Amino acid sequence: MSYIVPIGPYHPSLEEPIHAKLITEGELISDAEIFIGYNHRGIEKLAMQKNIIQTLVLVERVCGICSHSHMLTFAMTCEACGGIKAPKRGQYIRVIIAELERIHSHMLWLGIALHIIGHDSLFMHTWDDREAVMDALEELTGNRVNYGMVTYGGSRRDITLDQRDRVLDILDKIEESTKTLADFLLHDKTVALRTQGVGVLTTEDAIRIGAIGPHARASNVPVDVRIDAPYCCYDEFDFEKVVYPTCDVFARCVVRVLENIESIKIIRQALDSLPAGPINLGSKIPTIKPAEYMMRHEAPRGQLSYKVVTNGTDKVARVSIHVPTFKNAPTIPTMLKGNSVADAGLIIASIDPCFSCMDR
Amino acid sequence: MQEYKKIPITKEEIVPTAKRMREAGVILAMIHGYVMDDGKINISYEYQVDDTIESYTVEGENVLPSIVPVYDLAAEWPERELNELIDVTFEGLDTSKRLFMPDTMFDGQGQIFVTPMEELIERTHKTKEEVENQ
Repeated sequence: MSYIVPIGPYHPSLEEPIHAKLITEGELISDAEIFIGYNHRGIEKLAMQKNIIQTLVLVERVCGICSHSHMLTFAMTCEACGGIKAPKRGQYIRVIIAELERIHSHMLWLGIALHIIGHDSLFMHTWDDREAVMDALEELTGNRVNYGMVTYGGSRRDITLDQRDRVLDILDKIEESTKTLADFLLHDKTVALRTQGVGVLTTEDAIRIGAIGPHARASNVPVDVRIDAPYCCYDEFDFEKVVYPTCDVFARCVVRVLENIESIKIIRQALDSLPAGPINLGSKIPTIKPAEYMMRHEAPRGQLSYKVVTNGTDKVARVSIHVPTFKNAPTIPTMLKGNSVADAGLIIASIDPCFSCMDR
Repeated sequence: MQEYKKIPITKEEIVPTAKRMREAGVILAMIHGYVMDDGKINISYEYQVDDTIESYTVEGENVLPSIVPVYDLAAEWPERELNELIDVTFEGLDTSKRLFMPDTMFDGQGQIFVTPMEELIERTHKTKEEVENQ
């Protein structure tokens, strides 16, 4: 007999609201539908009523996890509209914060995934490591959530030699524990039983639906904006695209852990070769002429895109924000089909969703 | 540096462009839309061609052909979002279920109507007078 099982919009296994309607045959899900829009805050409309300095602060609040990504992408898009080029030191600092943000975001997701599968010890160890990353972010920016490190034409705060040394010490600790975690994930029986073969998204489906970010890379689709369309000096760093062929929740765990090791590599390179010079353009920001541009950034969850239309005033005529979850959430019904109802929470969480970002 | 190229097209060129891009293995980055100052609708199909975004833009059209048959789910959510938020019709797109708007949008109850402040003040005065007259 067929039953409809609703999950959400408010559910213990969901950190943010989404509504999934599961059509079940006994324990198994035969089909599913997804409904969004429960956290719409009208940010795009509000952004059009404030000047671009205020909007830079506003867009940082679209998301509580990847706040730097939003600020960075919006700033890059406005800079592209105005033909502004940030100095190299400012761009390196942007990269360092973006990669620290990626590590803490991946660790946050891993912790939650491990908690959902019932491995609470590993969840706590993962979040313990994440605290060290948060300390590094606090050391460099003074903040734990909204870092406020981006300004038009560069970065707002410099990195001193003392700060650099303290962050490198933290990275040593994180690198060792991340490698241990990767080894553990690849060989632990509980993790394997609860994640291998669960929520499969084949490579063909990932391409057809348009999945992006670590979610796509875990389905063996090699997409990464940092390498495919470099920005912020990413082409000057040596790092790999992490892809994994098994296309299941297990692959999503492995990709994110291995990406953390790549991010650590990038931060080390950036800190070791931090160019001398100014971090921003100071007061030499030109007036932004009427233009339109779209820029993309590889945020922790995948490609974040901002399209901005300027009209020569101090406000933007249009801001369009599209986050990775908007591209990855349509894959949920495909992944749910054929799995048990008990795994639905884990499969939905496996895209590392941010519904606040998506609803904006 | 990522590049951005705006290419104006007509609504008849939307589907052939999508087919050409799909055959070339190009990713559809997003479909954007907004209402311009003159009230006309601007819809742009953003394709990722290497490090360049090619933005195929249609202006002033409220009814457009759907590219879901070409780009499948990668185009469905962007089209449904634009349909609900700026009321663009995509011919062939299934809009029988809501995506973004409140559950009750189809019977109109989902809309929140804001009563103008003048009307609220007037109503309050009337109520006050009625209470005093009793």
